[in-house]
Amino acid sequence: MRALEQKKLLTLIAPHSLQRLLIDTAKRCGIGGYTAVPATGAGVGGLQSGGLGSDANVVIYIILSEARLLTLLPEIDELMRAGYRVKAMVSDISILPRKGDSEA
Amino acid sequence: MTSGMLQNLLDPAILFFVFGVLAGVVRSNLEIPPAIVKFCSLYLLIALGLKGGASLAAGGLPAAGVLALLAALVMAAAIPAYSFLLLRRIASPYDAAAVAATYGSVSAVTFIVAQQFLTSEGVEFGGYMTVAMVLMESPAIIMAVLLASYVRSRDVVPGADRPPAALSMRKVLHEAFTDGGHLLLIGALVIGFVTGERGQEIMQPFTVDIFKGILAFFLLDMGLLVARQLQDSQAPLNRHLLVFALLMPLLNAAIAFILAAVLGLGRGDAVLLAVLSASASYIVVPAIVRYAIPEARPGVYFTMALAITFPLNILIGIPLYYAVSGWLWG
Repeated sequence: MRALEQKKLLTLIAPHSLQRLLIDTAKRCGIGGYTAVPATGAGVGGLQSGGLGSDANVVIYIILSEARLLTLLPEIDELMRAGYRVKAMVSDISILPRKGDSEA
Repeated sequence: MTSGMLQNLLDPAILFFVFGVLAGVVRSNLEIPPAIVKFCSLYLLIALGLKGGASLAAGGLPAAGVLALLAALVMAAAIPAYSFLLLRRIASPYDAAAVAATYGSVSAVTFIVAQQFLTSEGVEFGGYMTVAMVLMESPAIIMAVLLASYVRSRDVVPGADRPPAALSMRKVLHEAFTDGGHLLLIGALVIGFVTGERGQEIMQPFTVDIFKGILAFFLLDMGLLVARQLQDSQAPLNRHLLVFALLMPLLNAAIAFILAAVLGLGRGDAVLLAVLSASASYIVVPAIVRYAIPEARPGVYFTMALAITFPLNILIGIPLYYAVSGWLWG
């Protein structure tokens, strides 16, 4: 088996209507890969039941290198400072790299 | 008025809404998959657009229709403006701009329920009223974003570096005009207009025969959503905002009736104008406001529009506006 690679996992929880904004922000930092999953929940922003476009959440997973994470996080922080209700979590992960994979 | 209210409450679709609220209140695990709810909302917009377009093709745009569209534009500009001035006294400026946007825009489902009510009462209305609904969707968003930009430009915290501006007006306009539901409604309206009566006949099994059933199904989910929103939203609503959510629809409807009477609109058109003016958007506008006015609290504007004003209009407002139109139009 090939050796596991050390990466960062950035998990973003946000209203569904911000998905495109967040993905575009990541793209500007050179990150094209992500996984988005519809989500429901509740918080200070109210109940997000998922039934309507206006009350749906999304969880976005981005696997990336630490260097790219350090480029993207300030951008996410800027959005949060502007008032956007985004939760950003970072964790260390080990992944089995794709064959011939280099930088994420 | 009591008989109109009773008749409205005995409509199967309305009863499913009430049932949904009850099921939500007792915390039933009844749940409609989100994908089906989304399908139902898109279906209702397609059916509404096709019917409105076909009706417009058949009846054209008479002088009364032009006046109705003019009245719709006036209300779409006036409601967010005076709402903001009122709300500025009882809420933060960003919340005020967001709530003004939701109340200045419209609820398509409330409009559909009102159309069904008028049809069951045998009151005629013009197909151009669907165009009026489309026209009333966006001005409030634009006005609210401009108001929020103005507030933001003055909102400088001493000693702190300024938070970045939200988004450019161009991006916000793009979001507002390319919103899926909004675009689908316009597309269906155009297709209904182009295909006319023949198109209506072809689409009848889809847009007419099952319409009431799909509406009932959607309203069942809306009932569940209203109950859960009230119970779980943690909405930071103060007493003044609650009063606003309850009384503003009535004030907006009253102003719409005055305008309709001055312009000489027919009774059906006047009721629909009042319903459009009284309704608040809980799908399109909240989604765009989250994007365009991030400083506003969704727990305020979304809860007010969905959990208070929507049921108020569906259960009491529509028969009330109809009764008032009876007194005014005879």
